[in-house]
Amino acid sequence: MRALDRTTWALTWRLTRAGGRTGLLVTGLAVAAAAVSTTLLLLCVAMNLGFQHRSDRADWRNPVESSRPVAVEAVGTTFTRGVPVTVVDVARLPGRTAPAPPGLDRFPAPGELWVSPALGALLDRLPADRHPVPGTPTGTLGRAALTHPGELVAVVGHRSTDPAVTTPREPDPRRVGDIASPTRVASFTGAPLTDGMGGIYESLARVATVLVVVPLLVLGASAARLSVSRRDERLAALRLIGATPGRIAGLTAAEALLTGTAGALLGVVGYAVLLPVAASLPLAGGAWYPADLWIGAPPLLAVTAGVVALVVISALAGLRQVVVGPLGVARRSRSRGASAVRAVVFVVVVAVYGWITKKYGSDDSMALYAFAALFLALAVIGPWVVRLLGRIVTALAKRPATLLAGRRLLDDPKAAWRIVSGLTLAGFVAGFFALLTLDAASSWGGRPDQLAIAVPDNKVTQVRTLAEQRLHAAGVTAVIGDDGFVAQGPSDSRQVTATVSGGPADLDRARTALTGLIPDQYPITGPEVNWSEERFTRDFTTITRMVLVVTFTVAITSAGITAAAAVLDRRRTYGLLHLAGTPLRVLDAARSRETLIPVTVLAGGAVATGLLCGGSMMLAGGDSSFDARGLIVLAVCCAAGFGGILAVGALSRPLLRAVTRQAGTRGE
Amino acid sequence: MNTPSAVLSGTGLFKSYGMTRALAGVDIGITAGESLAVMGPSGSGKSTLLHCLAGIERPDSGEVLLDGKRIDQLREPARSELRRTAFGFVFQSGQLLPELPADENVALPLMLGGTARREAVEQARQWFGPLGLQGLESRRPGQLSGGQAQRVAIARALVGRPKVIFADEPTGALDQTTGMEVIHLLAEVSRSQGAALVVVTHDANVARWCDRTVRVRDGLLAEAHTEAETGAEANAGYRR
Repeated sequence: MRALDRTTWALTWRLTRAGGRTGLLVTGLAVAAAAVSTTLLLLCVAMNLGFQHRSDRADWRNPVESSRPVAVEAVGTTFTRGVPVTVVDVARLPGRTAPAPPGLDRFPAPGELWVSPALGALLDRLPADRHPVPGTPTGTLGRAALTHPGELVAVVGHRSTDPAVTTPREPDPRRVGDIASPTRVASFTGAPLTDGMGGIYESLARVATVLVVVPLLVLGASAARLSVSRRDERLAALRLIGATPGRIAGLTAAEALLTGTAGALLGVVGYAVLLPVAASLPLAGGAWYPADLWIGAPPLLAVTAGVVALVVISALAGLRQVVVGPLGVARRSRSRGASAVRAVVFVVVVAVYGWITKKYGSDDSMALYAFAALFLALAVIGPWVVRLLGRIVTALAKRPATLLAGRRLLDDPKAAWRIVSGLTLAGFVAGFFALLTLDAASSWGGRPDQLAIAVPDNKVTQVRTLAEQRLHAAGVTAVIGDDGFVAQGPSDSRQVTATVSGGPADLDRARTALTGLIPDQYPITGPEVNWSEERFTRDFTTITRMVLVVTFTVAITSAGITAAAAVLDRRRTYGLLHLAGTPLRVLDAARSRETLIPVTVLAGGAVATGLLCGGSMMLAGGDSSFDARGLIVLAVCCAAGFGGILAVGALSRPLLRAVTRQAGTRGE
Repeated sequence: MNTPSAVLSGTGLFKSYGMTRALAGVDIGITAGESLAVMGPSGSGKSTLLHCLAGIERPDSGEVLLDGKRIDQLREPARSELRRTAFGFVFQSGQLLPELPADENVALPLMLGGTARREAVEQARQWFGPLGLQGLESRRPGQLSGGQAQRVAIARALVGRPKVIFADEPTGALDQTTGMEVIHLLAEVSRSQGAALVVVTHDANVARWCDRTVRVRDGLLAEAHTEAETGAEANAGYRR
């Protein structure tokens, strides 16, 4: 390819080196933006794959019935101070050779207790009468058995005739994955939980990625444009002396390739450096195995190549004027329109989104695709709205700064959109999450100090007596009752409850004492029924806050970079206007209005669209309880966004001053 | 040359950029309605002279007087206002805002001075007829030819009724014929408005349209020509 031959590379290198301090700064910014985009994109991919890895490693606890079984597997969940402890009971069937369950190097013998490292440490700390599982640990479970390093898991070996692996357990639809009745299995591969929390986390990670990726792409593209803005006059000069459009495109592509590649490689380094930090974030129950967040070579290469391609394409798109004609901007004769088709596309996408969430509900992946389409539709309608605003502002303008801003919006709506697009999309995200709040309050009654077991009607008296005896022997003061709906049991069962008055330590003791009273059940409190929803609610808040911080930070950064590129793009005109006596404050005010007017309208509209979508998703999910705290977060986000855009305007003011000061009466 | 009738004068102007001396003691003056061509080779200091006279830059020493008042000691905001109110500028190219239509480009200095938009645009449009721009009011710079764009720039320089118009290579981006038309128009309209005109140019054919020509060499005014002498030089140039 002649456009990228040796001459092109030599010239590119020369131009890059000859750029001086400003050139270095611009190149540095372009590299930094590409690096930040790459790092965050890689972390997004890592989070998606990480949740998938975690789900995969929980599959073995969801046993699958086999016609040629070798072992029995049952799963139960108990708690210690509100934290779930997964107990897997296994027994080898007589005369069969059973494989070792994941994370064990052999099949546990009857009576053996294997525990996860975190549970082992906990058992070491707690006195025996407060152990959530009885027995002394025989061995430690490896990573293959655990979703995350802090998970509390026990594997208990039994004889195939023990009640723990023969008594059927009542499944509880409120606690998917917590309980598995004894199942005859051929292996410990298990099956994915179709309606478990793992899938919900994966969906959340996908939504978060969609929300973060677009602003990141905007950032990468804006950095490429900044680089081109500085170079366009030199490239135009080369074009004037006879360089072909292919050569100019080659020079631009070569420079973008260099900066993009450098940025992407730095981004990979950033990802590697941040991997341990990301792994320490407690999500879905605890910190991560770093290996789960390592995405592997193919995705790494794909993301890196994607960022480089984006930078090169953006640079080439920004160069179009120079390539088309050497006189570039000065000879521009038509405004760069934004057709009304964009508005139609947006309305259609919003309508389709509403229809899909209504028809398929919020959990379906169709809703996710519709959501992604809606997010992109905002980018489609943006320039059209800017152009409309330009028309209105120009018609109403009385002062020169407002007139300049209005005309500029009307003339090149896409350029103004580039500055505000990140914040508009971030506004959508903030609006979306403002109403999309979760309520994990238990609707099953029960108290945090009251343990419950479901007992067959005919055994209530007997179990109550046994419970009193065991609690007395454990030295726990408790009131025994038989009412409530906390523990799941057969239709003819009633609740036997123990209300413990001595605090969390005594509750632990009571739980340990009552465990095994009914072989198929662990005692449970009311709030514990909802433990996974509560955890998800906390994680949802954490993830949404992270998404908001990332989208707003990235959006404000790209607005700053694009604002700087816009100053560089128009430095000649700014300079000459200033020489002819136009006060700097007028130029600056025009620049501010050119950004603040569209950002107010577009980000406001995006927030409203986000509220609409978040609200419709909540209603589609059957929830109509809105949380006012979400609106406070939204207000904080709006204030941060507006403050950020004012700040980046102020930060690019010295650049405006510099370009007007450097301007001579002749062209450069 | 600080004559009592000079609307603008510079006396003992020195200006250096680092070790390079751009002006080495220039005395110059121009009267109302007079046109002055400043010629000289590249790097001779002619643009620096224009910058100092127009208040774009401050000389290292010497003084610049407008209507007998020193302007070289003013602070940048005051000089900026002076450039907007008392001076007009015509540059080689790129001075028009590409997104504004021609009439709003011309009206801009008036709006900056506080005139209401409608009135400013009305006043601006009055210049389109005399400058041969009738019917082009709504066109944007990209839709104008080079000569038309320079005429719009002239209209913008004149719309505020300046005392002095500065033109730096105003025909530099135009072909010979269009360039001559533009400089002729600039000189004629400036004269009719009673505005002094300072034109920096390489081109003797441009200079011949001015009442007087000065040459700058190594930061000094080397010689002065009358309009007739410059014309003869230009014609000789053609003969050669």
